[in-house]
Amino acid sequence: MSVNPIVLLGALAYFLVIFYIGWTSRKASLDAADFYVAGRKVGPFVNGSALAATYFSPASFLGLPAFIFLLGYPFWWALVGIIGGMPIATLLTAAPLRKYEPTSFTDYYADRYETRWMRLWAAIPTVIGGFAYVILSIVGTALFLLCILKVNFTISVILASVIIFAYIYYGGMVATTLSTAFQGIAMTVGSLVATVYVISHYGGLNGLTDAVLANSPTFFNMPYVSEKASHPLMSTWTGVVGFFFVWHFGFSAMPYTVVRFFTTQDIKSARRSVFWAVLIGGAMYGGLVIIGTGTKVLIEQLHPLMQTEGINSAMGLLKHMKTAYGVAGASVTDYSMIAANEALNSPFLLAVIAAGGLAIAMATAAGWTMVLNVVLGRDLIGKVFGSTWPEKKPVQCTRCMTIFIIFVCALLSFKPPALVLDISGAAFIVILCSVGPPLILGLWWERGTTIAAALNIIVMTACSTGSWMYAKYHLGSYHWFFLSDPANKLSTPHQFYWVFIGFFFYIGVSLITPRNSEEAIQKYVRDLRPRQPKSEQI
Amino acid sequence: MFKGMPKIFWAGTGLMYFWVFLFMILEMTIPGLPLKKVFGIPACYLYNWLFGLWIINIIISFLFFWSEEKREEKLEQEGGEI
Repeated sequence: MSVNPIVLLGALAYFLVIFYIGWTSRKASLDAADFYVAGRKVGPFVNGSALAATYFSPASFLGLPAFIFLLGYPFWWALVGIIGGMPIATLLTAAPLRKYEPTSFTDYYADRYETRWMRLWAAIPTVIGGFAYVILSIVGTALFLLCILKVNFTISVILASVIIFAYIYYGGMVATTLSTAFQGIAMTVGSLVATVYVISHYGGLNGLTDAVLANSPTFFNMPYVSEKASHPLMSTWTGVVGFFFVWHFGFSAMPYTVVRFFTTQDIKSARRSVFWAVLIGGAMYGGLVIIGTGTKVLIEQLHPLMQTEGINSAMGLLKHMKTAYGVAGASVTDYSMIAANEALNSPFLLAVIAAGGLAIAMATAAGWTMVLNVVLGRDLIGKVFGSTWPEKKPVQCTRCMTIFIIFVCALLSFKPPALVLDISGAAFIVILCSVGPPLILGLWWERGTTIAAALNIIVMTACSTGSWMYAKYHLGSYHWFFLSDPANKLSTPHQFYWVFIGFFFYIGVSLITPRNSEEAIQKYVRDLRPRQPKSEQI
Repeated sequence: MFKGMPKIFWAGTGLMYFWVFLFMILEMTIPGLPLKKVFGIPACYLYNWLFGLWIINIIISFLFFWSEEKREEKLEQEGGEI
């Protein structure tokens, strides 16, 4: 397969738009407020589109279709869980956090729990999850560059790291918010165009379903009512419900989305931006469901490499890509979404998909790198360890952090540790079970205490990462319950139950430890609640 | 806990979970439900792909910001702080 000039032109057009936005907004990132929170002047549509592009990553664009391809129809519910979790954030965290007006994700922890050391505790899972996300974004960008340029994966990773680095280094939050908003539109258009191609190729939804069933008869099987499950991980309700919850609460509590609530003009814009994010992101996810459903049949019926070089199945084709382009680790399965689009043999479609893929990968890398920049520079070096460097030279400090983050993540991207969606799932569970309860219950429960918050972060970070790795090495997959009998394994995707245990743990410890001061509770709990009109007060 | 949370939050969140878990349970008790034809297409495209994934969530997120803006309008009329 050689480089297609139309695909290359599509990618170049995308980069031209991004650099144009970056160039025209470059003067807007000169002071600290603009660099960190875009001067709090972003409107609801732009912020909503940026929210969608930042929240959805290559784990969505590549990983979700790959998981539908692997696990079948029951995995559709995971996508419903992700979009279904978005509206909840409107009132749960977006409105109160915008009212509070922090600069960084860790500000709330330090203020609500009255110790600067909470910044350090909150930073631990955030840094673990953040590095995981930057790695998967580099891998995602590299896979799309491989699709466009047909170069070796190692070269793609180097190129991807350089592009992402340049994008963030010269950007800051103003430039990344505006270009990310454009990227939100680009990724949705890419997904929808591919959907139209897939559905029209099979003559409608019935034609697509018939083709999928002819190719994979168990694809639509649900547990308990079918002789054979669509996949062993989907043979019990815990698998279906578990995947629904892995990413479900992410929009409310993941640092890289929460910070986008800080950038809005006002509280009204913060709430409205969630509506736009659901509209844009939901449309893209609708497309990903169709692409993932058709992936196997499309590759096996139409891909130009099928029946050549001894390739006779979709998995065989992906193995071929692994050897031909040196795609490392498990991430070759992530190429399945691109391969499905290659199968439709339309350079225009591939150009749109490649632009959308680059958009989503770069937007997420930028969002997470900005979070890590602020956490490592302003919060840890400045606020915790007392250096004045981040305060005096915020842009210089942030750029140094960017160099460090991208360099470390690039090194780890040459051999990705797992599928991009698995990296994402692990990051979500670690962050949601550790810093999620102290954030959500900290905002909505006066009784939450500093000891509970600190203990919850430390204990849940250890439990979730420990059980995840134990399950992988003891049972062969992160998705089996880590204490399962190897002969009779129970599906608990990414050890998702720790999210719920985290909430109960935080509540339990709070009830037996001393309350925070009345001043902190008044300022960071009661004052952030919505005021009720007198006519509606009981 | 959750004192002052607007009622619309519980209504919207309840609707989303009711819809999701109702159809999940039905799928795990009625053989072949996802492929049963409704309006000429497999049912899962309607209750999962179209409504569960997109339309219900658009409606809920719209209701959330709309009802809050109404509350703030009332507060402003009463001269109170938002």
